[in-house]
Amino acid sequence: MERYQQADPEAPAVLVSALSPGLLRFFRSQSATSGQAEDLLQDTWFRIHRVRHTYRPGEPVLPWIYAIARRVRVDGYRRSRRIDSHEPAMEVVPERPAEGEPRHALPVFEALVAALPEAQREVITMLKVGGLSLEEVARATSSTAGAVKQKAHRGYDRLRKLLRSYAEAAGGAQ
Amino acid sequence: MNCQDINQAIVEGSASPLPPEAEEHLRTCARCRELAGTLKVPVPADLPSPTVLQEIERGLVANLRPVRPIAPKRYIFVSMMAIFAVTAVLGLSRFGAFAIAAMTPLQMGAIFGALAISAGLLAYSLVNQMVPGSRYRVPPGRVPLVIMILLMVSVAVLFPFQQERSFWFSAWVCIRGGTPVAAFAAVPLWLVLRPGAILSPIMTGAATGLLAGLAGTTALEIHCPNLDAWHILASHLGVAVIGAVVGLLVGWAVETGN
Repeated sequence: MERYQQADPEAPAVLVSALSPGLLRFFRSQSATSGQAEDLLQDTWFRIHRVRHTYRPGEPVLPWIYAIARRVRVDGYRRSRRIDSHEPAMEVVPERPAEGEPRHALPVFEALVAALPEAQREVITMLKVGGLSLEEVARATSSTAGAVKQKAHRGYDRLRKLLRSYAEAAGGAQ
Repeated sequence: MNCQDINQAIVEGSASPLPPEAEEHLRTCARCRELAGTLKVPVPADLPSPTVLQEIERGLVANLRPVRPIAPKRYIFVSMMAIFAVTAVLGLSRFGAFAIAAMTPLQMGAIFGALAISAGLLAYSLVNQMVPGSRYRVPPGRVPLVIMILLMVSVAVLFPFQQERSFWFSAWVCIRGGTPVAAFAAVPLWLVLRPGAILSPIMTGAATGLLAGLAGTTALEIHCPNLDAWHILASHLGVAVIGAVVGLLVGWAVETGN
């Protein structure tokens, strides 16, 4: 990040390739489609570029990046809602998977996490997908470590219940 | 180890494998096994497309030039506190310090102490809001609320509640005097905040407006000899509330305009 601030031409490529998969997955697990997630990823990097001077050398990078990504997601959601409200309602046709693509586009984790309330989903995604620590998630969400811990606990309890209900449904179907 | 302990282990060791005691519990508990299995997130299957990555990299490299990291926290904090103090003193030099003679040393020490602490807390919160991913001891959304409660309680405890004949008139006179002081403080505060990356304009706007409003409140506390608690709550603190509301509305306009 410091090399990026000093305009090292190789630094952007290193940062983008290291952090984009996690960021993309963060957006995907927040109910964005593939296309939307890639748009949000681009917006995030361009916003990071604009405010790169606000990163203080020596501070953890991930909370800084994810705090910006989180804001981009909120802005993107708001923008898409504005566009939706101006467009006539259309029947949503689910995308057909391409040849050779697995039938379940969403992995089990994303499918499960999608059922959680937004705040819990965000915290669990940052912890498990972004690889952030409790303290880093607290920084990224302008919260305290205690509050993050509580949300994560509630989220895991809920996931456990969801898993049980899936298992029961699967058992009943057999 | 029980299911709650497994939660704890998963929450606290999100990036590391579970401890051996947890593995023992997982062997006997199907629900925890399922949860732990689900959370073993594999390498992302849906990587960004190479075209998107190249586009991002090209965009970043095209506008790449060296930047100087934002000033250290303490410099920004001191600047904000200086703006607060200088504006209050300027307001005071215009209005005069008639309240000093009317207040007891206890009232003076406590109310100015509370105002200084409030301004310090707000400035500290704003300094953090300028840099994404900062560490917060109190969530920034709660700081203005906590400060208003602290100040209202201080006023209610320190000053007597009286019946005043021309309550609304004298309140209006103080609000009219304090609001320009707050507006005067808001401009340099905005200049200090400008280099930051403000992620929540509504929250930052409310906090900045409140800090500017507190400069007006402080000027009025030094100037106005009316020690009626109702008067101080409605007009002196009213200036701070007006500042916070105006800041919030400006932040809202910025946020919805983005």
